[in-house]
Amino acid sequence: MSESADSTQLSALALEDLVACHECDLLMRKPALADGERAECPRCGFELYSHNHQVVRRSLALVIAALLLYVPANFLPIMQINVLGQTAEDTVWSGVLSLYAAGGLLKSIALVVFLCSMVIPLLKLLMQLAVLLSIRWNIGRSYGLLLYRIYHHLREWGMLEVYLMGILVSIVKLVDIASPTLDVGLGCFIALLLAQVWLEVTMSPHQIWEALAGGDAHARH
Amino acid sequence: MRAIDAGILICVECHELNRQDADNDDQRCTRCGAKVHARRPDSLRRTWALLLTAALMYIPANVLPIMTVYSLGKGQADTIMSGVIELIHYDMVPIAIVVFVASILVPTFKLVGLALLLYSVQRHQPLSARQRGWMYRFIEWIGRWSMLDIFVITVLVALVNFGSLARIEAGFGAVAFCSVVVLTMLAAVTFDPRLIWDNTESDNDHD
Repeated sequence: MSESADSTQLSALALEDLVACHECDLLMRKPALADGERAECPRCGFELYSHNHQVVRRSLALVIAALLLYVPANFLPIMQINVLGQTAEDTVWSGVLSLYAAGGLLKSIALVVFLCSMVIPLLKLLMQLAVLLSIRWNIGRSYGLLLYRIYHHLREWGMLEVYLMGILVSIVKLVDIASPTLDVGLGCFIALLLAQVWLEVTMSPHQIWEALAGGDAHARH
Repeated sequence: MRAIDAGILICVECHELNRQDADNDDQRCTRCGAKVHARRPDSLRRTWALLLTAALMYIPANVLPIMTVYSLGKGQADTIMSGVIELIHYDMVPIAIVVFVASILVPTFKLVGLALLLYSVQRHQPLSARQRGWMYRFIEWIGRWSMLDIFVITVLVALVNFGSLARIEAGFGAVAFCSVVVLTMLAAVTFDPRLIWDNTESDNDHD
């Protein structure tokens, strides 16, 4: 990767031959990447972009798998407890409902939990699906660009992995008093989480932006 | 050389490079149409505002009970810290450490860390920019994990609901805590990490 020594010529180069780090604003010559390679900023170490194989096709498969898992993961019971003959079940959705039922200011936490564990993860998946389809079928690219921008703003607000950790901590807290039994919803939830994490690793943003902007060769369907 | 010195602006949303158009106050990215700025506008002031609000909410978050456990008519209120201590009493030290890190260490580190970053940018501190860059990225990445306690409360409130026999109710400390997490996440998004590098004299700050 070229360093800043030849900085006088850098500004004269065409924008297509340049790349700037979005974390520290260092301007560099753009390195050409082969499949599976990634470029890092030499100054601050942030990943500039990576280049994956068959991005659109692999991402589509993952996004569809994740969407299929979404309903069972959120509405099937995660676990059950039994206290003196009474049984109680927990689903992601029932958690939101019971917080909301407490009323008052607690409704605001119910709303945050609803957004972070259900609404935003679903919106993210739907936006990714729309973006991928718009690339694949070559329609509505401008909407694709807009959706992909919104997706990037929502990204860190989907908190499935944190929720899973919350489930695990609750199991440990309950284990002595109520002997919780795990249910099928937990499996679906973990599968959804894995599909989503894999999807985020596969769908390299740099390639998606280029494909959306028209450079089809980079996405290789 | 910085992109800004070459008259090139990087789009914060899609990372496309754009030539700066000095006459245009409302310059849009040529690829994705987002507004492009040399640096995020008012980054320092907005981050300070969010951070100070978060610091204010940090007090009720730690003092007020986050949940109350009612069992056979008796209620026992739990704050964040007493929840951790209780876990230690039940010999669940690993989980106690996880909760302690997520609910106490991380929010505190975020408040202090972001304040330090803001201060160092304003005061041109000679702290290593690379280290501060790492710190910012870590704060940005770890922020969401503080929601852990809120999700634990959600699960417990839904499950333990047996009327007068046993039930768990969320407390107002949880509302304050939730707002601290959301506010510090917003503060991390508002902060422009490029500011860290702007006041380092040389580009060759590799260590």
